Amino acid sequence: MSEMRQVRLSGFGGQGIVLAGLLLGQAGVMEGKYVTGSNSYGAQARGSGCKSEIVFSDHPIHYPHLIIADILVAMSQGAYQTYDEEVKESGIILYDRGRVVPNMELNVKQLGVSATEISLKKLKNKQVANIVMLGALVETTGIVSPRAIRKAIALHIPKRFQALNLKAFHKGMELGKQINA
Amino acid sequence: MISRWIKSPFPKGVYYFSGNEAAAEGAIAAGCRFYAGYPITPSSEIMERMAVRLKEVGGIFIQMEDEIASISAIIGASWAGAKAMTATSGPGFSLMQESIGYAAFTETPCVIIDVQRAGPCTGQATRVGSGDIMQAKWGSHGDYQVIALSPWSVQEMYDLTLRGFNLSERYRVPTLVMSDEAIGHLRENLSIHSKVEIWDRKKKRGRPPFGTEEEGGVPPMPAFGEGERLLVTGSTHDAFGFRKTDDPEVHSRLVDRINQKILRNRTEITETEDYYLEDSERAMIAYGFTARTSLYVVHQLRKEGRKIGMLRLKTLWPFPEEAVTTLGKRVKKVIVPEMNLGQVAGEVKKFCACEVISLHQTNGEVIGPETIMEMLKKI
Repeated sequence: MSEMRQVRLSGFGGQGIVLAGLLLGQAGVMEGKYVTGSNSYGAQARGSGCKSEIVFSDHPIHYPHLIIADILVAMSQGAYQTYDEEVKESGIILYDRGRVVPNMELNVKQLGVSATEISLKKLKNKQVANIVMLGALVETTGIVSPRAIRKAIALHIPKRFQALNLKAFHKGMELGKQINA
Repeated sequence: MISRWIKSPFPKGVYYFSGNEAAAEGAIAAGCRFYAGYPITPSSEIMERMAVRLKEVGGIFIQMEDEIASISAIIGASWAGAKAMTATSGPGFSLMQESIGYAAFTETPCVIIDVQRAGPCTGQATRVGSGDIMQAKWGSHGDYQVIALSPWSVQEMYDLTLRGFNLSERYRVPTLVMSDEAIGHLRENLSIHSKVEIWDRKKKRGRPPFGTEEEGGVPPMPAFGEGERLLVTGSTHDAFGFRKTDDPEVHSRLVDRINQKILRNRTEITETEDYYLEDSERAMIAYGFTARTSLYVVHQLRKEGRKIGMLRLKTLWPFPEEAVTTLGKRVKKVIVPEMNLGQVAGEVKKFCACEVISLHQTNGEVIGPETIMEMLKKI
């Protein structure tokens, strides 16, 4: 892993962007990395555009906010259009296939993940689309280990929803394997 | 008076906490067992965590009707023997000013965390600022001192809240943790060790609670209910707490001592950090979140061979004037980036012989690296 990786998760409020960011950052800390995380706060987090930015490093992080993304996750068209040009050329964009029409002219690797669709059809709960996406993200980028995410889910998700979230995470990983093959 | 080491009330480990959560945990570690507050963005997570944690450790939590009541309650709790805290943001901090003066004059240990947002007035509730720095020093009337600390990380929200309690107990003075929205809401690694060092207020039976033989001394502090005759008043009082509202000598002695007990111990209280100052021609003086940006910029410019460094102020009040004066003699230019219209820059100018440039921003956003880079190119 390179020294520093910057991840931006984006979508609209209510999609669980902040929670996905919390799990990702927590997993990084559990693996011994330095992590900083900041989220949309206030009205944005509850309806309109919402983002969660996490920086991972092997060394202490001076400036804690994201400067340019190595990884962009876009769960809505609005979020995609706002942030699609703020990604490194060596970076990657993961977008929700059912919600985002990607710009194929971008000079960045892009992967479509059917997160909301799988969440609705296979898991019968659209609220875990964020976790399906997280699974695809971990599988395709190796930003943290699946084991660390499972530990983070155990720490932060209420017991009665843990099984659902773990299932969603594994579905996401399977999906990641297929699209990145 | 000596400190003691206790087992950390929170298990040793590395956590992924927000700054606000870390501050609450620092307070619990310091022995805080009383919290009174009124929720306000962006500080509310401190209150939320204190509500949960105080119940677990057998403390008392009260949601008050406003910030005036909140600070009054913690002053009362402190005189009943508890280590007490409240947290707020700009609008609430304004309401607390009168009682901060009361706490300073009655020498009441207490901790106030101000998670600063973009003011003045209600301003932008969810946005960042550091416009309360001068208010922290001069917000109440008359001549008095407080201690104000400036955390720049989640770790320091824990460490400096803990240190804030220790300083408050040692010097019997209200201590302010001047955080900001960006640090309060940042999540980051937080290391909690197995043991923490804590200080408790000194007690000496029968000794006057408001006077000492030594100049600038800190008298012992009994609590109500311990059997001592105790009077606490915000009017001028003698060593035993009796009101002396027209005796010039008693007044000047008391005002002098509550100032000197802090100013004489300035080297013990103030903390700063140097980065690359040995050979620097230019230096930034920064604090809080902006010091993170500044250090990032310094690192980038050092890679290009530019001779620039940074002095970070961990303590804002009493002002670390020795460190700033020394720096002013060593470098040609000092740049002070901050999220207000130059509050600390003004203070730096008092002590720096060299040119001082204020880089200020009041748009409710953090100062990013590119803003500082651009500014540095121009000078």
